[in-house]
Amino acid sequence: MRLASPSLSWLPDIREKTATRVRGWARKRQGQDSLVTTLRPGRVYILPTGVGVVFGIMAFAMLLGAMNYNNNLAFLLTFALVALGFVSMHNCQRNLVGLEIAFAGVEPVFAGDPAQFRIALNNRAKNRRCQIWLTGGDQASYSVDLPRGGSEVLVVPVTAERRGRVHLQRFAVRTRYPFELFRAWAWLHMDLDGLVYPSLATRPPLPPTSVAALGHRQHDARGEEDFAGLRKFQRGDSPSNVAWKAYARAGQLFSKRFSGSDTSSQWFDFEALAGYEPEDRLSILARWVVDADRRGEDYGLRLPGREFAPAHGAAQRLSCLEALALFGEDASA
Amino acid sequence: MTRARGTDGSLLSSLPWTLAALAVAALPHLPYLPVWITAASIGCAAWRIVIEKRRMSLPPAWFRGGLALGGFVSVYMTYGTISGVGPGTSLLAVMAALKLLEARKRRDQFVLLFIAVFLNMSALLREQYVWSLPYLLLSLVVTMAAWLRMSAPASQPVRQTIGVATRFVGYALPLAVAMWVFFPRIAIPFWSVPIDTSSGVTGLSDTMSPGDITSLSQSDRVAFRVRFDAGLPEPRDRYWRALVLHRFNGRTWSGSSPVLDHRFRDRTEFVGEPVDYEITLEPTRTQRLMSLDIPESWNLGRTHVSRTNTLWRELPVDQRSVYRVRSYPRYRLDADLSEFGKSWYLGLPEGRNPKARELARSMRADATSDRDYVDRVLTMFNVEPYSYTLEPPALGANPVDAFLFDTRRGFCEHYASAFAVMMRAAGIPARIVLGYQGGEVNPLGDYLIVRQADAHAWTEVWLDGSGWERIDPTAAVAPERIESGRSGAVLDGASWGVNAHSRLAYRVGMAWDALNARWNEFVLAYGPENQKRFMRWLGFENPDWQRLLLTLIGAVAALVTILHVLLILRFRPPPHDRARQLYERFVRRTGVQPRPGETPLEFESRVGNTVDPRAASKITRAYLDARYGDGGEGAVAELHKAVRAFRRRAPA
Repeated sequence: MRLASPSLSWLPDIREKTATRVRGWARKRQGQDSLVTTLRPGRVYILPTGVGVVFGIMAFAMLLGAMNYNNNLAFLLTFALVALGFVSMHNCQRNLVGLEIAFAGVEPVFAGDPAQFRIALNNRAKNRRCQIWLTGGDQASYSVDLPRGGSEVLVVPVTAERRGRVHLQRFAVRTRYPFELFRAWAWLHMDLDGLVYPSLATRPPLPPTSVAALGHRQHDARGEEDFAGLRKFQRGDSPSNVAWKAYARAGQLFSKRFSGSDTSSQWFDFEALAGYEPEDRLSILARWVVDADRRGEDYGLRLPGREFAPAHGAAQRLSCLEALALFGEDASA
Repeated sequence: MTRARGTDGSLLSSLPWTLAALAVAALPHLPYLPVWITAASIGCAAWRIVIEKRRMSLPPAWFRGGLALGGFVSVYMTYGTISGVGPGTSLLAVMAALKLLEARKRRDQFVLLFIAVFLNMSALLREQYVWSLPYLLLSLVVTMAAWLRMSAPASQPVRQTIGVATRFVGYALPLAVAMWVFFPRIAIPFWSVPIDTSSGVTGLSDTMSPGDITSLSQSDRVAFRVRFDAGLPEPRDRYWRALVLHRFNGRTWSGSSPVLDHRFRDRTEFVGEPVDYEITLEPTRTQRLMSLDIPESWNLGRTHVSRTNTLWRELPVDQRSVYRVRSYPRYRLDADLSEFGKSWYLGLPEGRNPKARELARSMRADATSDRDYVDRVLTMFNVEPYSYTLEPPALGANPVDAFLFDTRRGFCEHYASAFAVMMRAAGIPARIVLGYQGGEVNPLGDYLIVRQADAHAWTEVWLDGSGWERIDPTAAVAPERIESGRSGAVLDGASWGVNAHSRLAYRVGMAWDALNARWNEFVLAYGPENQKRFMRWLGFENPDWQRLLLTLIGAVAALVTILHVLLILRFRPPPHDRARQLYERFVRRTGVQPRPGETPLEFESRVGNTVDPRAASKITRAYLDARYGDGGEGAVAELHKAVRAFRRRAPA
């Protein structure tokens, strides 16, 4: 239950401003990090947590009590707690110092989906590192324990609002181990980029050759195939099209080709989608590319100033989607 | 609301640990807590575990609120107050039980663990035995293990949790001990400590009514321990003075509240050699302090001497106290007592104990002097068939008459009372002194143990020219009780001390007591005085609190540095990674950015014209040897040396 107090409404504002300023200071101080960074002691910041503050107040109250009663075992208990606080602070910082943090890639996503920046944590120490997690994206990662020499890959998800590039300027490695009395963290500025494809249009118009493709599919469903010959297997060919009998004979992979699937190569043309906004056109094209790829069909893509000859397979899909993602950005760059 | 109270079993891995921490912390309180609190707490804990296991809902807020109110009122009804160790502990237990019923997230358990810490603390306020220290450490380890368990993965083995908690407590202990030693102790409490009257402590009472008690309960409990600077005083001088009774109503002797006496040095003449000693007094919860007849000076704060030469403190002694006293066994006390002063010690109620008064008058008439009269009365006790017993018969409305003429059996109180009445009836000022007599020497520790069973009553009579003189009528009846320096109870064979059949039991008992004595002296009694002494022993000329504070800060800084280095060593990478770190340091120092995928040899040839090529070559070879060859630690050391020597500089 949180009471809204208007008199304190400026407080979060100040907090935010301070945090921004501190982050800016840290960025300037640390500079850009390489993709594999080992944390040095000066990189790890540490502050008490709320529990830590309460712990400190409790220890102080106990100290007053011990002094009042002049009770030596109470003194010892109090000092043991204070000492545990010290140990907790130093161990918390050491839990991060020397940790190796490496960028481990990010897969392209469609706009609106979270880009999963993969960050590898490598423990090169003899000792176990406990309960480390990452923040900086839309949500914090779960926390991991790293045994001696152990590695874990954690994900920093960043939702890509628009096509183009999604940027992860800064993320943080955090720990509260042990006892959660202190929180230590390190900011990393690796300036990571991920590719964002246009969002897929939900109700796209039919692609130019969709009728033929549809007819072909119905053909397939009836089991009457217009077999048109064999072709050497290429990566991305559907396994259902592999001529397994030919493989048994020749020991080489061939794909079956059907009439209609290669003769009527489809062209997805940006200019042909007149009447749509440019971004909507990109979304429609992306949807066509994905659908055609799923069907294993050949397709070509025509963008103003760029053209991808009809082909099929993963390479075709990736290069087409990348062109759609970066459409207009490369020119300006 | 209903959903917010649901449980999902996520606490199953940590809640039992928290409960264990609470149980260990609460166990020392068990004998003191009302049974209903123990039962309710255990019930709540069991209930909570069932809730978590079956994933049921927590009880609603109104129910918990009702329980809270009920618990609070019940504690108040039980104790009649809510301040003090007993009610405070009970409230903590109630709070823990209630918090348990609303703990839903892992982090809710922080509050429970804070309560566990406070329970540990209040247990120490109750009792500080020798085993309290190991128990405290055990409790600390369990609490910290539960603390770790809150955020640890549920699959973590029990042994690992315990091991990690033990290691952290182990790291913390040297630091804690240093702080304990050097933290400046001050003598004055901030606020007065409420007296816990509910737990009665046996010992001396404030009044004495011989004949009311028909059986003296003999307690082996230690009243205090004494260590003498020089040798022990004679057994006949071992009279420990606590308080003086002067008012008699025919049945009961009573005293008056202690008053500060500024003139005690004027009216007291100390004779002969002093005796210096240190007393470790068990808590009495009264203002009285024991001292050997007769105290001259002492070192305890807020402590004064009364008009009857007993020591008293402004605050009740509710914890073990250590103080040093200088006493003079030979003295002249109140040699010139005024007539008004004498009248204090002559009063006898009219119409009570008439036979005793008649006997006194006739015996005084026969005696040549006051002193002769005293001797005659003592002789009467010795010659007539009076006997010493711890189980005397009850006496009637005139207890002195009944004792002197009918029963003739009793212990020190009967004799002291009868003797004082006889003196007063003959016009000699007399008073009763309560305290302890004798004590048992512990050969292992070379100190004296005085037990509750050594409690004693004797008399002082005022004789013209010599002032107050100690007369112990019990000595006339049972001289062995005084001479042996052992209490009547022990002679009765009630204790393990003397009559025990097994010598081994005796030795073990004595060793245990010696350990307790050491514990009291070195740990519990470590106050301002002992701290000063310890600091002087360390070589500080004048250890005031500023110097102590500086020493404290220095010691803590030193130990934290050691801790830090220890942690660095623990987190140091294994050798081959150490080589890599060193090599990376070299790369940073060259100021040249390595290219992706560049091998060390390629890098070496590229930096050759910005840095000393020989050094670069040496470092690269050492690195390759340490990391990929079989150079081992030696190669790492070589690399370390080369990198440390490496300075970025232009080629010659």
